[in-house]
Amino acid sequence: MDMLLEFPNMVLQNREGTRYDGYITVMNEDFRLCLEYPSDIAKATLSCDWKLKCLLDGCLDVLKQRILQSKSLPSFLQEMTRIIEKKLEVTKSTKSNKEPIKCGQIISEIESLGWDRLVSVDADFTLLQFLHTDHKGREHILGMKLHPQHPVEPPQCITDLPVPFDPHWTNKSTLEDLYNQFTHSVNSYQLFWDCMEDIDKNTWVLEPDNPNFSAVYRRIAISSSASVQITVDPKQPQLLPSCRFMGADHSVSQLRQNMNSNLYHWDPEGNLLENLQSLLDVTFPTPTTSKKEEFSMECGICYSYKLETELPNEVCNDSRCGQAYHHSCLYEWLRSSGCRQSFNTVFGECPYCSKPITVKMPTT
Amino acid sequence: MQRSGRMKKELEMLSKSPPYGISCWSKDERIDLLQAQILGGEGTPYHNGIFTLEIQIPERYPFEPPKVRFVTPIYHPNIDTGGRICLDTLKMPPKGAWKPCLNISTVLTSIQLLMAEPNPEDPLMADISNEYKYNKTLYIENAKQWTKQHAVEKNISEENLVKAKSMKDTGVKRTQPMCDVTNKKARDS
Repeated sequence: MDMLLEFPNMVLQNREGTRYDGYITVMNEDFRLCLEYPSDIAKATLSCDWKLKCLLDGCLDVLKQRILQSKSLPSFLQEMTRIIEKKLEVTKSTKSNKEPIKCGQIISEIESLGWDRLVSVDADFTLLQFLHTDHKGREHILGMKLHPQHPVEPPQCITDLPVPFDPHWTNKSTLEDLYNQFTHSVNSYQLFWDCMEDIDKNTWVLEPDNPNFSAVYRRIAISSSASVQITVDPKQPQLLPSCRFMGADHSVSQLRQNMNSNLYHWDPEGNLLENLQSLLDVTFPTPTTSKKEEFSMECGICYSYKLETELPNEVCNDSRCGQAYHHSCLYEWLRSSGCRQSFNTVFGECPYCSKPITVKMPTT
Repeated sequence: MQRSGRMKKELEMLSKSPPYGISCWSKDERIDLLQAQILGGEGTPYHNGIFTLEIQIPERYPFEPPKVRFVTPIYHPNIDTGGRICLDTLKMPPKGAWKPCLNISTVLTSIQLLMAEPNPEDPLMADISNEYKYNKTLYIENAKQWTKQHAVEKNISEENLVKAKSMKDTGVKRTQPMCDVTNKKARDS
């Protein structure tokens, strides 16, 4: 009788009084469920509709426990009502957090910007991606993550510009303003990308692999035992970049010498690549005259060029040997072959030519 | 970390351009266990023999030398009855001379060289070493005998062995390579 008074929407289905089917009402919402509640409580079963299943997902263990501990069916259903109530409160509060983003406003902003520029958008209208193709045909993506308090707080921008994109934003700003600032920035780096593209096309770039628009450095192969890493200023790409030489002493010291004596001939108006070649007094090997394998010398210890992310940058300084090694391979060998160590430098012999070789200890 | 990449390259090199008289392959597609065969060189008592070796690649290879062992018994001052080889390139410095610039191919070549030129000053088998130093003809005779017993007949399939024996009875010289014997029989019949 308790059952009929407290849960009038649950209808008895059999003579034994163990099977109920119907609805329970929690916070003005109805949920369909079907219950088997035999005298042996361990065999009790509960099935429900999708809405309730989603809500109860994650607290099934609690429910099982409650069934086993319950004294009667009404008391169990009351327990269950309480659990559902709590769950409903939680979902309501999370929903209300997301409220301020007004999809309608964003859609109208996208419309004024042009739907053809939109690359992707997520279901909540918080992650947007726009495409801008510059006049050289390079495609740039502007990613935006809208703040929950949009438009009071500025959106977070994800770009592939060489310097961080820091747009001007007021609470009256629109997505279109942001996009225009982005295209303006893109246009200001055209010269930089032209210079970098020139390098990528006409030299062997050892690092980075497949450089993106934001990469300001290039490691260019000069010979099998030497390379130079340049870091270009994206705002003034034609000025002298900072240069770091890598490779065997005998070839690197010559390059350094050339650089010091030719420093005054750098033409700030001229082509970056040509300037570099006359600065170092070398002709960079090009993809048309050589193969990349000639410059990507394998490590003499592990026989590979790339070891995870490491390249063979340690080179034997004897000009007749010039064998390249990964730092970690050479360090590991010198350490295990019983060598001398002083401060952070390890002294040993080149595994190939047995001439003295040194390696710095790893920084970590 | 370095081992797998290096072994892949080495196995490729070994299958493409193996050193003269040497073959080497991975056992059951494993990178830590290889098998090799060295042909006994001409002018040595091991001539005509095929010697099988087992090579274990340790975890820290190439920072540690490979572990090489003769599977085929061999009569040699520097190789014991368990097949262990006394060779400086197979040991870590400062005692040994292993360096990561060596590899399976060069190690097998130096074993081949050791077979041709034993080093009696650093013996593993004192008796054989003394024999090599003071009674070389006996050493050569014994080594030939062992080669014949373990490295020639073991490599001939049962069927060919029967044929070989019957050939021997009819007076065919035993030192001829096996394929020639069977060919000759084919020609004769």
